[in-house]
Amino acid sequence: MREYRPPIRDMRFVLQEVLDVEAHYQKHGFEEVDADTIQMILEEGGRFTSEVLTPLSQNGDAVGCVLQNDEVTTPPGFREAYQTFVENGWTGMTADPGMGGQGLPSSLGEVLNEMLSSSDVAWGMYPGLSRDAVYTLQAHGSPEQKEVYLRKLIEGNWTGTMCLTESHCGSDLGMLRTKAVPEADGSYRISGEKIFISAGEHDMSDNIVHLVLARLPDAPGGTKGISLFIVPKYLPDANGEPGERNRLKCGSLEHKMGIKANATCVMVFEEAKGFLIGEPNQGLRCMFVMMNAARMGVAMQGLGLGEAAFQSAVAYARERLQMRSLSGPRNPDQPADPIIVHPDVRRMLLTIKALVEGSRALGYYTATLMDAEHEPGDAEEQKQLTMLLGLLTPVCKAFITEAGFECVNLGLQVFGGHGFIKEWGMEQLVRDSRITTIYEGTTGIQALDLLGRKVLQSQGESLKLFTKQIHLFCKENADNAELKELVEQLSAVNREWGDLTMKIGMAAMKNPEEIGAASVDYLMYSGYAALAYFWARMAVVAQQKLAAGGEDGDFYRAKISTAKFYFKRVLPRTRALAVTMTAGADVLLELDEEHFAFL
Amino acid sequence: MAEYRAPLQDMRFLLNEVFNAPERWASMPRTAEVTPDLVDAILEEGGKIAENLFLPLNRSGDEEECQFNDGEVTTPSGFKDAYKTYAEGGWTGLGGNPEYGGQGMPKMLTVLVEEMMYAGNTSLTLYPVLSAGAALAIDTHASEELKQTYLPKLYDGTWACSMCLTEPHCGTDLGILRTKAEPQADGSYKLTGTKIFITGGEHDLTENIFHLVLAKLPDAPPGPKGISLFLVSKYLVNEDGSLGERNPVTCGSIEHKMGIKGSATCVMNFDGATGYLVGEPNRGLACMFTMMNYERLSIGLQGVGLGDISYQSAVAYAKDRLQSRSPAGPQNKDKAADPIIVHPDVRRMLLTQRAFNEGGRAFACYVGAQLDTVKFSEDDAEKKRAADLVALLTPVAKAFFTDTGLEACIIGQQVFGGHGYVREWGMEQFVRDARIAQIYEGTNGIQALDLAGRKVAGSGGKLAEPYFEDVRAWVASQQGNAAMGEFLAPLTAATDKLEETTRWLLDNAGNDPFAVGAASCDYLHLFGYAAYAWMWARIASAALAAEGGASADFYAGKLGTARFYMQRLLPRHLALAASVMAGSETLMALNEAQF
Repeated sequence: MREYRPPIRDMRFVLQEVLDVEAHYQKHGFEEVDADTIQMILEEGGRFTSEVLTPLSQNGDAVGCVLQNDEVTTPPGFREAYQTFVENGWTGMTADPGMGGQGLPSSLGEVLNEMLSSSDVAWGMYPGLSRDAVYTLQAHGSPEQKEVYLRKLIEGNWTGTMCLTESHCGSDLGMLRTKAVPEADGSYRISGEKIFISAGEHDMSDNIVHLVLARLPDAPGGTKGISLFIVPKYLPDANGEPGERNRLKCGSLEHKMGIKANATCVMVFEEAKGFLIGEPNQGLRCMFVMMNAARMGVAMQGLGLGEAAFQSAVAYARERLQMRSLSGPRNPDQPADPIIVHPDVRRMLLTIKALVEGSRALGYYTATLMDAEHEPGDAEEQKQLTMLLGLLTPVCKAFITEAGFECVNLGLQVFGGHGFIKEWGMEQLVRDSRITTIYEGTTGIQALDLLGRKVLQSQGESLKLFTKQIHLFCKENADNAELKELVEQLSAVNREWGDLTMKIGMAAMKNPEEIGAASVDYLMYSGYAALAYFWARMAVVAQQKLAAGGEDGDFYRAKISTAKFYFKRVLPRTRALAVTMTAGADVLLELDEEHFAFL
Repeated sequence: MAEYRAPLQDMRFLLNEVFNAPERWASMPRTAEVTPDLVDAILEEGGKIAENLFLPLNRSGDEEECQFNDGEVTTPSGFKDAYKTYAEGGWTGLGGNPEYGGQGMPKMLTVLVEEMMYAGNTSLTLYPVLSAGAALAIDTHASEELKQTYLPKLYDGTWACSMCLTEPHCGTDLGILRTKAEPQADGSYKLTGTKIFITGGEHDLTENIFHLVLAKLPDAPPGPKGISLFLVSKYLVNEDGSLGERNPVTCGSIEHKMGIKGSATCVMNFDGATGYLVGEPNRGLACMFTMMNYERLSIGLQGVGLGDISYQSAVAYAKDRLQSRSPAGPQNKDKAADPIIVHPDVRRMLLTQRAFNEGGRAFACYVGAQLDTVKFSEDDAEKKRAADLVALLTPVAKAFFTDTGLEACIIGQQVFGGHGYVREWGMEQFVRDARIAQIYEGTNGIQALDLAGRKVAGSGGKLAEPYFEDVRAWVASQQGNAAMGEFLAPLTAATDKLEETTRWLLDNAGNDPFAVGAASCDYLHLFGYAAYAWMWARIASAALAAEGGASADFYAGKLGTARFYMQRLLPRHLALAASVMAGSETLMALNEAQF
């Protein structure tokens, strides 16, 4: 049975010691969030996820969801766990206090997301989708919609979904076909079929609120003709309680590689009653608020799954006896040494550790940028923070999930044959993790967003905000003798990042295909560069803490060692990416479509 | 649905135009009968089996899985009949020794056949492939009596064989295994112990199953030098060759796994089961090594085969799926969107798959050709040289085929987006099935240690010399061919880097006991990328020589992919070289508690 312990020490290190969130929360209007609050959230969240959720995960995978008579049954224990989650107030953790939420910063919500994902990512998606719906309604719902729907979602007895994808369109929403016809009473009749709807139907809540993208009869073509609607499973009655059953249902469940305990539904709307959110034809804009939050949520899934794999793999590597250390027996009274003595096993474990802890710093930092919107500082500063958030969100989403998938595969590999069988839970982590590079915009889509929209459309301004920050850090630490090599490497990568951007930008002015030819390699490079920055920052903080004396010396020494490992053994990957991203589009476009396969 | 057509054109191209196999075969007496017509017929028929017999059972086999009931294993519906047809067609004895009923086909050909079978249905293919590996061990080490009794039945497929190595507490470290073999008065042995992860340990495909089992004799020295190899048959065999008594070797349970669910992975219990010694006492590991090079190359092909079916399915999907417009403007004006194959990033994914698959196929032919030289050549110096190359390149092939194979399957799934994650299209099954290949037959970490430690550092670099000589000689032979410049330059640079890194490894292996283990995995990958660069340069050279004519498009496709490989994949070796030469210090700095 797989076990999980929340990495509270490392979470606190990143939040409080590296990012100094206590000061940050003060600045952005979360005065009541002090060290005690943070500690309580981490401990309580950790207890719920490790004690309640983790034990459900493997059975949930084995049993999956079942559809019968239009109703979906979730695996044993899911409902009860959700009740506990609701009773403890987690569903409203980051929501508007005026609507019953607790108004805690988004960044703490992301920490909870990480823990949920380590424990049982399939379960975590049910409240995760609700949270996305909450954000959307908070930003765009009418006062009445908020009163009727938002309160219930925040309270948790109702859950939400996002209905975007149709069978013929996922990345390209401009082609969607679901129709919305206006009714005399101001409502709409929604007809169409949506696929891949996570948590579209289940037995965990009293009502399910679908947020559905659809077209009005007179809507212009493409992405500019899409509107957003609330379509509840049960129409609220006069008291705001679930009333009449709406004309929508789950047509079927997908059979998937992983996240089997999450119901991935085909949702069929047959003239279902719906209510417009925001302005007509502004549906995609309404979704944007939610999309950024949803992307961060998926990034946290990549992180959480990597963390889960790390914990299991380290425990196994300490216990499993196999072969002798190359420098002589470590464990002479046993037939063999634990495999953690072998350099190649350490390479795997350290790669996971460096990617997971680096991603945690990058992810939490980016999440703090979301907090700033709560009580913005001056306009120019807020504009910059928003730009930075826009820049780093696709990096977090794609890089952290790609890195997370690498980590779970490495974790499985540490287990050898035992990793491939179900018993230990490692293969489930791989299967569950595989979706994270696909949904909420594939890695390819994130990369186009990063390079095309965020970096090049801003003439490199958004990137400069970040590279300038790195540049200042390098300058401040230029005389740090122990970390000199790290700071110099970081400085070189930071410069190269800008140069590569210029080069691709120039090429793209002549040929727009150059963006897509470079984008994924560019995104991965950006992720490695960003992690180099955060590893150097973490090493500096650890060094200061060690110099100050006190507890946790091993923790800080391990940080510095892992930082050095990252720079020596992981960051060199940028040597390849710098070459391949500038190889140009020709070599990709040369082949005729018909010349890909000759059979 | 998954799409697969046997890549026969590429296979013929490799054999005939890149490696001149027909000439080579004609020059060795024992392969003189391997004529181009025969090879064509084998490839074509093999392709039909993979496409029409194996593939249709692939998804259903995954859904149904093997069932275990009271010691008996039932394979998924259709497996038994498909296996029977396969055996009756003579495929189980394709590479077998003709003296005992095998067909004596060269490895260079059988690798291609195996690749197609893996593509069609990996689970089903594992049953005969393991038997073929076992047959080789028996043919090389067993007594004449055992050979007479068991080999013909293996070659005609009526019996099957498993390999029983792993125990619950030992996989990589076989020196600590516990299964015991007690000698009996009649010269046989009684075996007692438990083996796990035994692929094909029990099933319903054949009338008898026997097992090659590693065990310890009572007086055996400890560690790997005290291990012997035994043959243990499910049903004992009577004097007349008919099946006799049931031997107490039973399947205790089967594993529930991530993939290859149609392949039975068994816990095998030996309760005083009668067995026969194969080879000399305490030489069991040496006996296993004979077959290991063949076996590892074969398992590696699982990566290539699965990569190819994933690729073919992804290309079909990318031509069909309409989503967004080309950055260069609409290509498909009368439709709502363009097929996704117009997008540069989708092409990057597809070409990555293709470059790995076809590079791997070429490398399998190349290593297979060396194995054939060892087996069939009558020139001792040539044999020795080829054996050295096999020793060097087999771990590269096994690990690099399967690592790049998994990458290819993951990319293929990615091309499908969300549709790749649901079971319907079959793309996720390829990923699950491919994942095991990095683990079994020696994890890829073990392959890397074998390459960097035993083979390269262990020989003081001697084993790597023939490889570098061959590459350099080939590059020299291409000088003056201006069109080859764009391929030779990156090939030479990567080969230089590999040599530099090899020297670094040799220089450091002596001073630092951890240097090899710290470098091994990245070193193996570096080797793989450099070797594929050679393969792609050879492919490009053959394509340039043949350009024009009826197959002009085929050759253009080859050149385009070779270019892609050099510009977009080969640069990865730069990162690997930097990582290798970073040394072991940062790996060993943390104490165990600090993780």
